[in-house]
Amino acid sequence: MSEAVERAYVITLTIPDNEAFTALTTLARMGLTVDTAVRSDIWIATVDAGHAAALDAAIGTFETIYNPNKHRLEIRTDARPRPGEVWITARDETPAITVAGRTVAGVRGIVRRTAWRLLDEHGADVPPAVLDRATESFLCNPAFQKAIR
Amino acid sequence: MKRVAIVVFPGTNSEEETLRALSAAGVEAEIVHWSRGSATLRAFDAYVLPGGFAYEDRVRAGAVAAHDEVMDAVIEGAQAGKFVIGICNGAQVLLEAGLVPGTGPLRRPTAAFAPNAGGKFLSVHVFVRLAVDPERVPVLRGLPAGALIPAWASHGEGRLAASEDELDALERDGHAAFVYCNARGERVRAHNGSARDVAGLTNRDGNVLALMPHPERDGWTFMHRDGDADKAAARGNAQAMLAPSGGAIFFQAFAAALGAAVPGR
Repeated sequence: MSEAVERAYVITLTIPDNEAFTALTTLARMGLTVDTAVRSDIWIATVDAGHAAALDAAIGTFETIYNPNKHRLEIRTDARPRPGEVWITARDETPAITVAGRTVAGVRGIVRRTAWRLLDEHGADVPPAVLDRATESFLCNPAFQKAIR
Repeated sequence: MKRVAIVVFPGTNSEEETLRALSAAGVEAEIVHWSRGSATLRAFDAYVLPGGFAYEDRVRAGAVAAHDEVMDAVIEGAQAGKFVIGICNGAQVLLEAGLVPGTGPLRRPTAAFAPNAGGKFLSVHVFVRLAVDPERVPVLRGLPAGALIPAWASHGEGRLAASEDELDALERDGHAAFVYCNARGERVRAHNGSARDVAGLTNRDGNVLALMPHPERDGWTFMHRDGDADKAAARGNAQAMLAPSGGAIFFQAFAAALGAAVPGR
């Protein structure tokens, strides 16, 4: 068996995101100063190294998770949140071996998470304390979810 | 008679059948939309949060509604001893608001009705059984010990999830008010994978109850699942089909509670 590598496929709406807007109004009600909430779906795959490029290409063809008319796709070669991001996932997340219902050669497991970034009026990340409070009081329910920073 | 507000958020979809069930039990209830604000809600004596998909379940089922301004009135009322019931999505809101089980700070949930085991939305007929001393839940005064209530479970997120320590405490301290069971009242494994087979939780004082299945959807004979003996016997008899039964006892118990003095008021 060949070496396994990680891939993170970050899929973000390029059209207005109603869910992110609703989250923003809730954050405002909580007294948090946030100008923009950015939500992304993140699909994290563990894949045989020899099949990673094929998976990269395939993801862009799975219309149920990525539509080029309304999404932006970023492919990362590691599965770690960037500074200013928080990833929310189920505590008991179980990797699937299919992607959007399809079997892809070399995929050993794939999980889906939600990423949030909160920006100020200048487009910069909000202070960590604001993201912490948003996460602990709203974005993550620790009873069944975990936040990855 | 105490007045009950049926609190409707954008996306709530069970307010009319909840109103019918409450009215049939003799409760004076009114549908109150979130846009009327907490000042309006404060004038009511009790609250019912019905099922649906408040705010489209954005972020997480119940999470946005739990922070809605109208929930300030529900939280204040609950803390003052008013009776509060949440059914299905309403139950999820109560957990997200931290009112149930109420073992942590407000709006910092210690338990959740999380996505079902298997990840599928399930709509199935169930029975739930009162699993605590009836005195533990004054919000449902008069229910007999071990009361059996038929209901329809219809949810994608009904699996009680919490830490093992929290689950132990919930059982030990009488928060696990209802468990899934069969028609004979024998506890069964929850269809949705709910921890400890819990279908409903209450708070410390028993004045707030969160129940996942819908008793209002099995409040009349015609609502029973096909194959039920009462329904079969009523076939061809409209009066028998329209007779209150099954889940009605849930609302009758709530009515009895409202008829008694509301604690702290």
